[in-house]
Amino acid sequence: MDVNKLVRMANQIAANLDHGKDPEKAIAGTLDHLKRFWTPEMRRQIVEHYRQGSNGSSDVIELSYIAAKAIGRLAEEQAVA
Amino acid sequence: MSAAFIPYRRARDFGTPKRESERQVTLTIDGETVTVPEGTSVLRAAAEAGINIPKLCATDSQEPFGSCRLCLVEIEGAKGLPASCTTEVREGMVVRTQSKRLGDIRRNVMELYISDHPLDCLTCARNGDCELQDMAGAVGLREVRYGYDGANHFDAEKDTSNPYFTFDPTKCIVCSRCVRACEEVQGTFALTIDGRGFASKVAASQDQPFLDSECVSCGACVQACPTATLTENSLIELGQPEHYVITTCAYCGVGCSFRAEMKGEQVVKMIPNKDGHANHGHSCVKGRFAFGYATHKDRITKPMIRNSIHEPWKEVSWEEAISFAAKRFKEIQAKYGVGAIGGITSSRCTNEETYLVQKLVRAAFGNNNVDTCARVCHSPTGYGLKSTLGESAGTQAFDSVMKADVIMVIGANPPDAHPVFASQMKRRIRQGAKLIVVDPRATDLVRSPHIEADYHLSLRPGTNVAVLNAMAHVILKEGLEDRAFIEARCEVDAFNDWREFILEERNSPEAVEAESGVPAEKIRGAARLYASAPNAAIYYGLGVSEHSQGSTAVMAIANLAMCTGNLGREGVGVNPLRGQNNVQGSCDMGSFPHELPGYRHISDPNVRRLFEQDWGVKLQPEPGMRIPNMFDAAVAGTFKGLYVQGEDVAQSDPDTTHVTNALSSLECMVVQDLFLNETAKFAHVFLPGSSFLEKNGTFINAERRISPVRKVMKPLGGYEDWEVTQLLSNALGYPMNYSHPSEIMDEIARLTPTFSGVTYEKLDKLGSIQWPCNEKAPEGTPTMHVEEFVRGKGLFRVTPYVPTDERTTPMFPLLLTTGRILSQYNVGAQTRRTANVSWHDEDVLEIHPHDAEQRGIQTGDWVGLKSRAGETVLRALITERVMPGVVYTTFHHPESGANVVTTDNSDWATNCPEYKVTAVQAYKVTNLSDWQRKYKAFTEEQLEHLRRARESAEHALG
Repeated sequence: MDVNKLVRMANQIAANLDHGKDPEKAIAGTLDHLKRFWTPEMRRQIVEHYRQGSNGSSDVIELSYIAAKAIGRLAEEQAVA
Repeated sequence: MSAAFIPYRRARDFGTPKRESERQVTLTIDGETVTVPEGTSVLRAAAEAGINIPKLCATDSQEPFGSCRLCLVEIEGAKGLPASCTTEVREGMVVRTQSKRLGDIRRNVMELYISDHPLDCLTCARNGDCELQDMAGAVGLREVRYGYDGANHFDAEKDTSNPYFTFDPTKCIVCSRCVRACEEVQGTFALTIDGRGFASKVAASQDQPFLDSECVSCGACVQACPTATLTENSLIELGQPEHYVITTCAYCGVGCSFRAEMKGEQVVKMIPNKDGHANHGHSCVKGRFAFGYATHKDRITKPMIRNSIHEPWKEVSWEEAISFAAKRFKEIQAKYGVGAIGGITSSRCTNEETYLVQKLVRAAFGNNNVDTCARVCHSPTGYGLKSTLGESAGTQAFDSVMKADVIMVIGANPPDAHPVFASQMKRRIRQGAKLIVVDPRATDLVRSPHIEADYHLSLRPGTNVAVLNAMAHVILKEGLEDRAFIEARCEVDAFNDWREFILEERNSPEAVEAESGVPAEKIRGAARLYASAPNAAIYYGLGVSEHSQGSTAVMAIANLAMCTGNLGREGVGVNPLRGQNNVQGSCDMGSFPHELPGYRHISDPNVRRLFEQDWGVKLQPEPGMRIPNMFDAAVAGTFKGLYVQGEDVAQSDPDTTHVTNALSSLECMVVQDLFLNETAKFAHVFLPGSSFLEKNGTFINAERRISPVRKVMKPLGGYEDWEVTQLLSNALGYPMNYSHPSEIMDEIARLTPTFSGVTYEKLDKLGSIQWPCNEKAPEGTPTMHVEEFVRGKGLFRVTPYVPTDERTTPMFPLLLTTGRILSQYNVGAQTRRTANVSWHDEDVLEIHPHDAEQRGIQTGDWVGLKSRAGETVLRALITERVMPGVVYTTFHHPESGANVVTTDNSDWATNCPEYKVTAVQAYKVTNLSDWQRKYKAFTEEQLEHLRRARESAEHALG
């Protein structure tokens, strides 16, 4: 899948779960949402993208702070599994 | 003959509406003691005791009128002969309905009527089912002493402008039943009695032909007419039905109950069922009249296969088609992996059918790649209501609206999209309920005869959440919340978090005024009205869900209802108006990739174990792909096979170019449908579907009502849809052996706690059942969350307003929003194949005069409509219904390409597409768009492939 689409979706989830008061809750909520609603393949792709980074490419949308934190945790969980 | 076949008879008519009262009144009628609720008419009390008083102008769907003078009775102690329809019962009243005097008067009245009525009974369409004829017989009319040479109406001209019914004024007795039906039952006020005395006549609007008038062709007047003045054309053509079957309409989410009135296997009339719990004997133009598609010549009744979408189709046997499909699917899975195929269930199919498709995907495909068209309409409702209230469904019965004091309609257009419920809602508004409309367009609810919204919050598309938050801000700031309800029924910590958020200045009406375009004072007024009502109810539609913040808006609505205590009783609630007939059911049946039936997450090992034991397979614990994920994966080359039952994603889903690219890249698409729809043009296997008239099953409407769908004719293709899924599953190696849909419902009940009490026998007995139906509620649940919320305590979710990425720019300065029209249904595959095209034969672009003038556009001009996704061309309609900066169209005709323009933007939580906001430019053009030219060429190619299949089949036979 187009990775930009996944990044956009992750950023949207993070933005809607974040109201600026409790980033920890927003990160946990985003992580939970990805696990409950995304297919394993979509999660694998976004984690891979997170690990590789944008490599300086301006064609790739940046992950928001909350989304990046949540995907970072997803990456950790996947590494453990 | 099935037990559901009932010999034809006209539905019993009690003369005046049923009254409800705690006080009972006892009286004597013809020596019989009768007890009825206070307020009941003498006419109805008699009817309930089995005593039929002659009547013509009275009918139990309308308030008494007292004009025909046939229902006169003698009442002891009363002067004269009162009309029994307008006389209410009194304690101890003694009534006589038959006497020489009454008989003479009734005969004289009938004699006058018949002196100006054609005596062509034997060749009249109503022969055998005419109230006037019945009354002439009942009063013993034997002669007309006045003769027939006097002034009469025999030369009045017929009006045949409406495609479904004929108006023959020569037969009219001016009883006003049609006029009153239009007012009281439908609420359109299109008919009137023009002129006075002998010149009195029924007139549509300004004495115009029915088709040109404000008439919405609901047919209530035809149903109410006691003579042959207003008659269904199908009845004129076919004659009287000989039996009927009670079934459920397959159009919108109101789910009207109908009598399919039949002559053998031919439908003569669809008459709304007076005992139908959702519609109480009313219907709209679609349900009552637009059933001809079921036998339309375009129906495909032979299975077909082909290797490539650029080859002609080949008609084959069912066995060959099914084994072709199964072999292709297995090959794809062997080559690309188990997850490379999936299925789409349909909101137009029955529960039993959608249940079976999701079972096929999970058990026979071995993955969770199943989704349903609710993805593109009400998936945010599922998410939003589940997370706040605990159940993914509306909270009320439709009848609850009759107890609402304030009605708030958000992003919904019931008179067009849910017409029968709109009639009920309008009746309540005429009784005095206040109305708030939140919509970018001035829909008919904002202002139409006898209806005027107290507040119309005409917001910019995409700002629902900002406005809803601002309403909550006013309520909390002014202390209008229901503290006791919140403390008793909701999670208080979550409420406090939400409260703190809502009270932030960014959520004040003044702060959102510029963004939303709604004056702060209007938001304040609406919020006060909603919060201060004893009972306030919210009804919402796709104008809430189909946004990038669809789920947030649903949660914001739930928050409003919870904080004002407007949940858990009649007259209140949160009510999603479902688009298609079985959206609720298809969601309930586990059609979403992350949920098993009853909205239970696939990751829950206990739930999975239950299904694994019953189905005898191992289930995947991870969510499968949603429809847009499937399309993305198809374009990326990892998703290769799709089974689509009764959906038309190529027309209904956004960003058509992306969708058709995805469909074109599939190696095997199996489409099961009535017609070669837009999606089927990309298919490799076509399996003939069956219409709602050809199968048994159940639908679930917007109020969670499970209603029976009953077979009135054999499936044209040979199989009901559930049988086809079963054949496919067996061919794939997963055995299914149901012999009737009732067995599928038994399995659903066995595995789903909210359905555990549902059986076909109970549905036959009760007529319909609102789930949850289980041990706690054996006859169903009209109102949810009464004692406590399904999730226990109600949860306030914080709902930050996140503006959509879809913003206007200098290149795309207008916002396009889309919607529906009364006469057409969804992608139009059904209604376009009926005479409903008389009202809407093409989709047009509504544009404000200001925007039109700037662009030199006039009504009727071809207008190019361009977004970042694509470009199409539509005809313009200049109207002030839309505000400046906003344009609007419908999506009922494929060649209009409304979805060529809509984008891949979607709801953050559910990926429900943002159909309601697309930044566009509009400009005058003279030619079709490139997409339209390509579409035309592709359609011609596909129709040629179909013709070739039919020709070669005929050749083989010949």
